[in-house]
Amino acid sequence: MAVSASDIRSALSLPSSSTLVHSITPAPRKSQGQVTKKPEGISRELYALIGPSAPSLVAHLAKPRLKQKPNFGSGGKVKWEWRPFRNAGRTDSLQLGHWVKAGDDPDAEYSFTKYNVQSQSYTYSQEEYIHKDWTKEETDNLFNVVREYDTRWYVVHDRYEPPPDGPARSLEDLKDRYYSVCRKLIRNRPWAGDEASKAQLLNSYQFDKDRERMRKDYIASLEDRTPEEIAEEEALFIELKRLEQNERKFKKERDELLRTLLGIDSGLPDIVAEEDGLSALSAEGFKKRKKNANEIDLPSTPSNIISLGPPPPKRPHSAKSVAYDAQHCIVRVEPPASSTTKITHTPVHLRSFKLPAPKAALLPKVTQTLTELGINHTRLVMPTRENCARLESLIEATTALIDTKKVVDRVEQDIRVLRIRLGRASEGAEEDGKEGTPMEVDGGPGAGADIDADADADADAEGEIDGRAQSILSIRSGRGRKQSRRSMSVSSIGTSASTRVGKRQKRS
Amino acid sequence: MADRVRVRGVTIHRPVIYGNIATVLTPAERETSHYPDHTHRWTVAVRSAPSVPDSDIVGGADDLGYFIKRVTFKLHDTYPNPTRNIDKPPFEVSETGWGEFEIQIRITYVAESGEKATTLYHHLKLHPWSITFPMPNASAVPVEPEIPSPENAAKLGPVHSWQYDEIVFTDPFQNFLNLLTAHPPTPLPKASVNKKPVPFHSSNPASLEASLKGGVPEFTSAMEKEEADRMEEAKGKIIKEQEKWRAILIEKEKDLERLQKLLASKE
Repeated sequence: MAVSASDIRSALSLPSSSTLVHSITPAPRKSQGQVTKKPEGISRELYALIGPSAPSLVAHLAKPRLKQKPNFGSGGKVKWEWRPFRNAGRTDSLQLGHWVKAGDDPDAEYSFTKYNVQSQSYTYSQEEYIHKDWTKEETDNLFNVVREYDTRWYVVHDRYEPPPDGPARSLEDLKDRYYSVCRKLIRNRPWAGDEASKAQLLNSYQFDKDRERMRKDYIASLEDRTPEEIAEEEALFIELKRLEQNERKFKKERDELLRTLLGIDSGLPDIVAEEDGLSALSAEGFKKRKKNANEIDLPSTPSNIISLGPPPPKRPHSAKSVAYDAQHCIVRVEPPASSTTKITHTPVHLRSFKLPAPKAALLPKVTQTLTELGINHTRLVMPTRENCARLESLIEATTALIDTKKVVDRVEQDIRVLRIRLGRASEGAEEDGKEGTPMEVDGGPGAGADIDADADADADAEGEIDGRAQSILSIRSGRGRKQSRRSMSVSSIGTSASTRVGKRQKRS
Repeated sequence: MADRVRVRGVTIHRPVIYGNIATVLTPAERETSHYPDHTHRWTVAVRSAPSVPDSDIVGGADDLGYFIKRVTFKLHDTYPNPTRNIDKPPFEVSETGWGEFEIQIRITYVAESGEKATTLYHHLKLHPWSITFPMPNASAVPVEPEIPSPENAAKLGPVHSWQYDEIVFTDPFQNFLNLLTAHPPTPLPKASVNKKPVPFHSSNPASLEASLKGGVPEFTSAMEKEEADRMEEAKGKIIKEQEKWRAILIEKEKDLERLQKLLASKE
């Protein structure tokens, strides 16, 4: 505690310092070495207690002086009134009330509405799902929990329950799974924006499980260090810095010495050019080194130490070379790594000869879709490299769309079949009388018709592209109806259904 | 011999256009010609894509002779000497005729390239493009465009049919590469300096109106951008649809699962 000598004297009512031996007083005063000036705003003893640490000091100084009352600027009285309001972010039109300044615009939107952003969640269909360790249900479960708790990982980890016989999932496991799925989806789905934004989005979902675990371990161990360990680490760190400094000094001295001894033949790079020129110079230095290695003995040893190795092939990344390439219509592609195999030469061709074409199976549908959108994929107006690439991604996107529609149709049909089976199953369990059965027979295809009507109504609401989809649906539903009338054995249903069908046919 | 090494990983291309222009013969010309049944004079050509400003031909700003040795135009058999070899620029053939047919164009490159000749085809267009130009696979029976009478055709002006393309060389020989880089191509202008019309193309029906305004068309990089925009727009629409359908699919899969569970619990 920094108690000054004068404090003690005044407490003990001792005489002032001038009557005592001087040698005593300067020593304690000097040994304190801290600010002995009386600080402002707070009492001296209080300052002595707190010490010169900044936060508490600032906080204390910032306190309003007790003698004056602060004036909050509005001078006049402000009227407050109680107003009910709605939060636009809520879907349930809950009406709450809060105090609002009378002058505020009554219809202004609740200012915190805009913070109700949902982070973008990714959903995916059965087809896009493949993994050995995580089953689909588990991943679904995980995604639901993540969406509900807004990717707040600690909460998610707490609320997440692994399936009864599944392994326990740590926080890193969950994060890893979630981010890897998101990354895969981004990579594989056709993307509306350009490549740069896609790469950016992809990056935002980086997650390396091992690194995370290691990082967390490190932080934990950092916290757990004892004071001795901390001191030891600091000492080591200082030591290391000192060693590095020494090493650098030593290297510089040695270079200086060599340069003075051997002049330009020392094979060392010049100090001056440090940027692009370095590799060129190092190439020169390497050549010179090669020459001199045979002649002089002395430089050969240092050159072994200093040798930078063969300069890597410098790719022309500079802006000038890019402009050069563009001007001459040159495009550089990475030459394939295996130069041992004989590369067959791609002969000269017109770019329109190599226009991307959709796969034969889907060709008519793709062509039809693209025609509706006004694109002819067999001939481009300006078949440049970029446009050809765009056409390719367009065809890819179209193919994906058609595939998705096909899967929807398939699932649709499965649903229809299941509904009919359910209808029959419930009817069989109840053992209805004769009157029941004709109704059920009608109910089956009738229910099927209802489902189709719904699907058609949905299809109607959509745009022109789905005119075609609608026709596909109605064709399929026709087939489905016929199936259910004939016999159920076509679809993958068990024998029980077909025997029931047999019974019904006998009766009617 | 180091020159005969292929430079791997380098692709170099040159933009060219090929096509024809056709004008109706005036009655006076028809009287004096050897072939009274010929109705049109036409010129088929292979030229560089950018046009010389203020010129009255399409393209031709660069001389392609530095890498093209010879262009052979194979005309219809009814023409005398149907195989026309053009050994020096300008690579074009002018003739008179009455019918449209397919012309085979064979481009032979200079010896340094070490490449075989490329063959392409061009349908000689004499009659003006019609508004009802059929889309590639709209109907089984092709719609016959109306052929206007000679007076009307003369009023409509010359008919142009040009196609832009790029000749792509992969892994060229070093000396050929040097030769090519010694002649950098003139870049396409962003937009036509003299407000020349856009050449018509069947893949871009909107360009029909512009091309009918008359005047010598010109190829610009704006055309490339226009096509790119069209494709991006189409892609955007498709992706929106895709997302919608994916959402539908997910809903349906949920339904399916639910039904399956229900069924399993009943049985």
